Amino acid sequence: MEASASIKSVVSNLKKEFTIEFRNRFAVNVALSFAAISTIAISLALGGIPISPKMKAVLFWIIMFFSAMNGLSHIFTREEEEGTSLFLRLNVTPESILSSKLIFNIIIFLLLQIIITPLYIFFLQVEIKSIIPFLLTLFTGGLSLASITTILAAIVAKAGGKGSLFTIISFPLVLPVLWIVINSTFISLDKQNYYQYNNLLFLLAFSATIIAVSFLLFKYIWLEE
Amino acid sequence: MISILILTDPANSDIHILQKNSKMPKNKKLFHIKAELLSKKYLKFTVFKNIKFTIKTGDSIAITGPNGSGKSTLLKLIAGIEKPTSGVIEYFYNDQAVNQEQLIRYLGFISPTISPYNELTGLENIQFVIGSRDINNINTEELLKRFELYKHKNKRLKYYSSGMKQRLKLLISILHDPPILMLDEPGSNLDQNGKDIIYSYLNSERNKKIIIIATNEEEEAKLCNGSISFN
Repeated sequence: MEASASIKSVVSNLKKEFTIEFRNRFAVNVALSFAAISTIAISLALGGIPISPKMKAVLFWIIMFFSAMNGLSHIFTREEEEGTSLFLRLNVTPESILSSKLIFNIIIFLLLQIIITPLYIFFLQVEIKSIIPFLLTLFTGGLSLASITTILAAIVAKAGGKGSLFTIISFPLVLPVLWIVINSTFISLDKQNYYQYNNLLFLLAFSATIIAVSFLLFKYIWLEE
Repeated sequence: MISILILTDPANSDIHILQKNSKMPKNKKLFHIKAELLSKKYLKFTVFKNIKFTIKTGDSIAITGPNGSGKSTLLKLIAGIEKPTSGVIEYFYNDQAVNQEQLIRYLGFISPTISPYNELTGLENIQFVIGSRDINNINTEELLKRFELYKHKNKRLKYYSSGMKQRLKLLISILHDPPILMLDEPGSNLDQNGKDIIYSYLNSERNKKIIIIATNEEEEAKLCNGSISFN
């Protein structure tokens, strides 16, 4: 397939994903509801008791992790549940499908972060001491989580769409990412003008590896009977 | 006039293949599909075994037989959607081998198990396929009118009747003018008017494409110039 045709195919698929998402708002509603409820619940449970920056970073990424698991896994299971996966397979190349779904998940996750982060900062009275490293951590952490959830969602969808499997099988892959983003977020909350380039580079490299492996494996997962 | 070359293992008495004549298409772009010793098993249950055939542009084949005899399975094997337990299927376009990945460019396939997107309108589903396949120079309006869907083009599919969906599925499957058209029960859910629309299209394309229909309807089998029947 020519490059221009591939881009056209990805754009067409992406347009379809966003049209469907904004008509039924499944991923966004589920993830936002989870994030809003858990943030408010934590805030109420704490009742004004101050918590350490480390704890704030841990709670923040636990909320982001479960929001992603709840919302983004639907990208492939929806195709299986609604019987559209064969239609998609017959009309779109596996590479275009993966590219569009990956871009869709990254955009949705970044949108979720844009909405959830101010809520979290407001309800838990979070003070950010190094704003740029904090934003860079959000972006690279979001990229890693979105790329992991996309390929795992494809595997889970082909395993009979058992959504409950998703969080469990994602845990070993997500663990190093969570470890790094929590650490990096903690530092940006705790120290001024402190850049953790190693952490950010690790997250970028991790995302690149996951995306590369996804492109190598996806065809076999997707075309599996 | 050339004859369709369809051969099967004489030892397999369950499958009967009828040979008739087909017309040679005027265009020179020829597709041909060659199946060798094709067998399909699900666990210990053998659906069929040792099927051999060659089909080329201008041939139209009806796959007939009772429910559960393996019609849809054979169609899916030919379309590359399922893999045979043993045997091979080869595809050639102008004598150049076509692999499984390239096959979707040349294939139009409809079946009861295929569903376009219910949350999109008919026109959006069409535009999605046009964009995904990078189809140019297509008159969508004319096709929508031909399949009597023009009035409903801006309705979401979840509000379509099953007959309208079936017509839309065929319309979508022919957008890229595929040289192979595979239809699993194309007349299902259609009233007589819907069937007439689809049959008239198939009649007009019969000599330009490979058409394979899995059906129990005599009317649909009669559209074809060859048949594979499962007893």
